Amino acid sequence: MKLIQESSKTKIVNNAIVAILAIYGISQKNFNLDEPTLFTQVVTEVISPVQEGIADSKRSMSSLWENYLLIVNTSKENVVLKKQISRLESDLTNMDEVRKENLRLKQLLNFSDGISPQRVLAQVVGWDSANEFKVIRLNKGTNHGIKVMSPVITDQGLVGYVYRATPNYSDVLTILDQNNRVDVVVERTRTHGIVEGVMNFKCALKYVMRNEPVEVGDKLMTAGVGGIYPKGVKVGMITDIRKENFGMTLSIEVVPSVDFDKLEEVLVLLPVEEAATTASVEVVPQERKP
Amino acid sequence: MKLRFSQVIFSFAITLLLLIGFEILTATVFPALGWKEYRLTFNVLIILFLAIRLDSPGVPWMILGLQVIHSIFSVEGWALGTLAGVIVMISANYLKELLHLTTAFMTMLIVQFFQVIWFVTVSVVICLKVSDFSKFGMIVWSFIPGSILLSLISPVLFWLLANIWRVPSDSGSRGVEI
Repeated sequence: MKLIQESSKTKIVNNAIVAILAIYGISQKNFNLDEPTLFTQVVTEVISPVQEGIADSKRSMSSLWENYLLIVNTSKENVVLKKQISRLESDLTNMDEVRKENLRLKQLLNFSDGISPQRVLAQVVGWDSANEFKVIRLNKGTNHGIKVMSPVITDQGLVGYVYRATPNYSDVLTILDQNNRVDVVVERTRTHGIVEGVMNFKCALKYVMRNEPVEVGDKLMTAGVGGIYPKGVKVGMITDIRKENFGMTLSIEVVPSVDFDKLEEVLVLLPVEEAATTASVEVVPQERKP
Repeated sequence: MKLRFSQVIFSFAITLLLLIGFEILTATVFPALGWKEYRLTFNVLIILFLAIRLDSPGVPWMILGLQVIHSIFSVEGWALGTLAGVIVMISANYLKELLHLTTAFMTMLIVQFFQVIWFVTVSVVICLKVSDFSKFGMIVWSFIPGSILLSLISPVLFWLLANIWRVPSDSGSRGVEI
């Protein structure tokens, strides 16, 4: 009887200690930023190469299949492409002039002041294993110049920002995550709002007043407010607007411009001072001068 | 039945390796195959097994260990799941006379019941943490498809874990005392 009571007492004490530890851990937890412990860094560095290997295998298999399909269609396309090349060559001469003009105007307007001149190309090797968080893991980390809060983009638009980074891997809190809030502006009307992740790979545009003239199909760009994202990066498009009978703001659904279903490679924008000092890193230089 | 300490360490190490395998499956293999929207949270299933089938003062520490490994793969961190795991374990202790995992259907039913407790706990804590209860429904809803799938595969995983922990199949809910 005494033995049973002692066993119960030990259980209660253990439960209480672990529960208190957990509550303390929750109180210290920040869903917007994380500094990984040494243990987390070591285990991540050991385990993530396996994830990278699996992601690479998938890419190789996809590429193999795509190549096969391409070969089948190559001979037909070859004839069409030859005709296109001759037409494009003449277009190219005109385009070069347009490009030079565009660059001159950009410099004039200081359009690209907020965007980092150097970017690290990284591949997606995994997703967060919990349902409620939409986070991706990249195969580049602090050794490659990446810092927490670095913005992450693709040619389609905004992906998110670096939430935590280890020497060779980093986790990105995507715009699909409910903890990530992006200050945006509607391209057509210059209306400001906040984009938050919701469900089904969609987002919501919040804090837009009922009298704002936004429409379905309007495109959203980053506003450049908040110090994380540069100004003018594509975020998404409005797909649904609902005016509830109550409240001062609209209920707006947004589809991200990035196709997260097919996301494989991303660009991490380095901070300007970091980009200047990182020489040995594999970077994609941005053309700035004609 | 009482396990020796060395057996406990061995079984726990195998369980950790199993969890790492499942986490890689969920975080990399499934998304690579195009399944990105819903996750199968295997850590929940493994912790449910420990909470329901083991009778030991060391279980909360094992839950903590499993959640620390889970936090490598998720920004959720270790603390949320640890708190939920301890709450589930205490609930299982109170209900132990009613829990009989004798058939696959009963296992699925019990696992689903405890997953609901788990997910409600996690959702409430997240909403408290971000001071926004408007997301409660959305978070709970995101759990549902994955949790049903987990319940369906729970008899197989429980059978596997029962072999790892040497829990006799006819021992009712409280399988092994450590």
